[in-house]
Amino acid sequence: MTIAGLGPHGERASAPERVLLLPEDMERARASGLRVAVVLHTLESDWAKQQLSGIIGMLGNCGVAVIDVIDCAFTPEVQIEALGRLIEETPDAIISLPVANSEVAAAHARVSATGIKLILLDNAPTGLLPGKDYISLVSADNFGLGKIAAEGLSPHLPDGAEVGVLGYDADFFATNEREIAFVKWMQIHRPDVTLRVQRFPALSAVAATTRTLAEAHPDLAGLFVVWDTPAIMAAGVLKTLGRKIPMTTVDLGHAAAIGLAASDPLVAIAAQQPFRQGESAASITVTALLGRPAPDWVALPGLAVTASNVVECFQTVWRAPAPQEVLRRLRLVGLKASDQHPS
Amino acid sequence: MATMATAANDAAPRRKGRPRVTETAAPSLVEILNLVRTEQATTRQEIERQSELGRAVVADRLGTLGELGLVDESELGAASGGRAPRLVRFAADRGRILVATLDQTALGVGIADLGGSLLMEHHESTELSQPVSALADRLITLFRWILERHSDIQLYGISISVPGAVSDGAENLFQRATPGVLPGWESFPLVETLVAAFDAPVWLRSSVETMTMGELHAGAGRNQRTMMFVKVGKRIGAGLASDGVLFRGAQGAVGLIGSVPVTVGDRTGTLEAMAGSDHIAQDGRLAGENGTSPILAELVRRGADITALEVAQAAQMGDAAAIDILAQSGRLIGQVVATLANMLNPALIVLSGSIAQTNDILLASAREAIYGACHPLVSRDMQIIRSQMGSSSGLVGAAIVASEGLFAPPMLKDWIMAGHPRAHPLFQEMKKEIARRKVIKGDMVRPPDM
Repeated sequence: MTIAGLGPHGERASAPERVLLLPEDMERARASGLRVAVVLHTLESDWAKQQLSGIIGMLGNCGVAVIDVIDCAFTPEVQIEALGRLIEETPDAIISLPVANSEVAAAHARVSATGIKLILLDNAPTGLLPGKDYISLVSADNFGLGKIAAEGLSPHLPDGAEVGVLGYDADFFATNEREIAFVKWMQIHRPDVTLRVQRFPALSAVAATTRTLAEAHPDLAGLFVVWDTPAIMAAGVLKTLGRKIPMTTVDLGHAAAIGLAASDPLVAIAAQQPFRQGESAASITVTALLGRPAPDWVALPGLAVTASNVVECFQTVWRAPAPQEVLRRLRLVGLKASDQHPS
Repeated sequence: MATMATAANDAAPRRKGRPRVTETAAPSLVEILNLVRTEQATTRQEIERQSELGRAVVADRLGTLGELGLVDESELGAASGGRAPRLVRFAADRGRILVATLDQTALGVGIADLGGSLLMEHHESTELSQPVSALADRLITLFRWILERHSDIQLYGISISVPGAVSDGAENLFQRATPGVLPGWESFPLVETLVAAFDAPVWLRSSVETMTMGELHAGAGRNQRTMMFVKVGKRIGAGLASDGVLFRGAQGAVGLIGSVPVTVGDRTGTLEAMAGSDHIAQDGRLAGENGTSPILAELVRRGADITALEVAQAAQMGDAAAIDILAQSGRLIGQVVATLANMLNPALIVLSGSIAQTNDILLASAREAIYGACHPLVSRDMQIIRSQMGSSSGLVGAAIVASEGLFAPPMLKDWIMAGHPRAHPLFQEMKKEIARRKVIKGDMVRPPDM
């Protein structure tokens, strides 16, 4: 699958296969006694847990010790303090997901300045450059994810529809790219559609922002939300308002998968592959620590998910069976033998 | 000097009789603001010393600049015995500059503060072959998207990096009309459309010029005075910073080294045709088809498209034929650059472009050719490195172009009293002309589709 977007500095994407580790690489890494720390925006979400599993598992395969895993709770101050503390520990590398842009740029720049290899996930603070301030950025093809979400919503929109876009009011590479791509696809392929954009500054404001958007535009016929957690919150608000609007979002979380299985209200999801992304981040870390050149930006393609393929995509993304509720809604469990084999 | 002379001609004729207060204050305001902006002076005492203006005048002008929001004196510096001095800082957050880079296959946009620091950027694929009106629509849509996120701060200027020499950029304080940078551009008023949409002056520079500026101010060239920048892609171009300033030549067409003829065996062609990424891709395809490169042959067998990047990746993996192709490109580029280096004696040569930045072989081969052909005095301390800024250098450089343009004394003196560059009389004149033409020609300057 091709990558639709460009990297944060206009880089062309490299496929995760570019940093595949050979047995001899792993052997060399094992002999080197390497130590790595991981700094994530949260450890609470399924996405973060899966990504962490991918990182830790792959580093384990290479005999690299994970000496700390930090939960920044989406807070720049926590991340700045954590990076400062980790620098004192002198790990060989730090894998970090910057939770903000300029606020955390200097703290990340200090990591490389002290000789510790820095690998970024999902977001590159403006001003930091690959090869100089960090080794590589590993992210989903967020531009592609926005495009998939637009393509998935389009068949459910009548001619001349008004469509809402709930964006994230923070300067964050991943969500910016999704919003820009969704809007661009609609402007090119559905010029009849009118877009109404509102942005929420924090998850706590999603309900109010959704209410404002819905009340200002009573004829909304579709909604795109830049990731699944606020999408589920927005769906709840719309339900209380008695509005039934087809929605698309990014990330195949547990609740989103259930909504998608019933095609209500979610009609399509653009899914990231966090486990694979975690494995790629770990492979790049080892590649860099072995002194080999690493690509500036490694991007993983998104998956286009609808009710018809939600079960297999859930398994691909989460390495776990789809929730029972999904299976029940798709009538894959709870059927009597007589239902399955009609005479 | 050409800029200064033309700027003087551009300025409004001076009235007879006693000058107005604004006319007498403007030169000292300009001088003080630029001392503060360039950090040559950071306290009132330093300003007095460097400007040779009296304490009362400096205090008065700083008061005015403070009211205009262009300087900030809220911070205290380190005390050296007595009371800690109040620091005078340029208020870079007073305004914003929209920046963009247009090249053959990508469009980059961003926003910077008045000091030229990039605050956000976005890049997406595009085709330069599409009509310029479609490119302008996309550019304006993205600019509006960015401004929605920075709506609390005023826009001071727009700066665009374009894939061709901008021949009249040096003659004006800012772009007064759309130059014919590429075929087809003469028929679409890009600059006028941007001015009508955003009410801010526009600067245009070639991509190699903005990348040189970006590299000089934020990349490998920081703290350097003399730097040569070489961009290797489909086209090959060079930029020169001399004494810390971009050298623009007589017509803004510096560094078109891609058209220098070079010879390999019995073949002669331009450097671009013999060493650019199209040539690398073409030789790579041939090596794949005739089997001299096993890695590229395998890609051809699988139906993959061979571009210069595939050849570069094959070379990195040790493929002998791919190594030869890149080494030859590097050698040819190095030979041409060495001639320039012997003439100009740069402290630093930066090679940029996706192949030069990701491929060690091309870089090594260019280095060997340059060092080999340079006079020992020239090569003694000269560094040859790859750029680490990627496409960001174009955006950062575009921001620096606008920042320097906005605060250049001939420009600044005519807007500083109003506190905003849109008050500049020549800009007001340009807007009137755009409005007049719009009335005559109807839809010549049309708003973009949102």
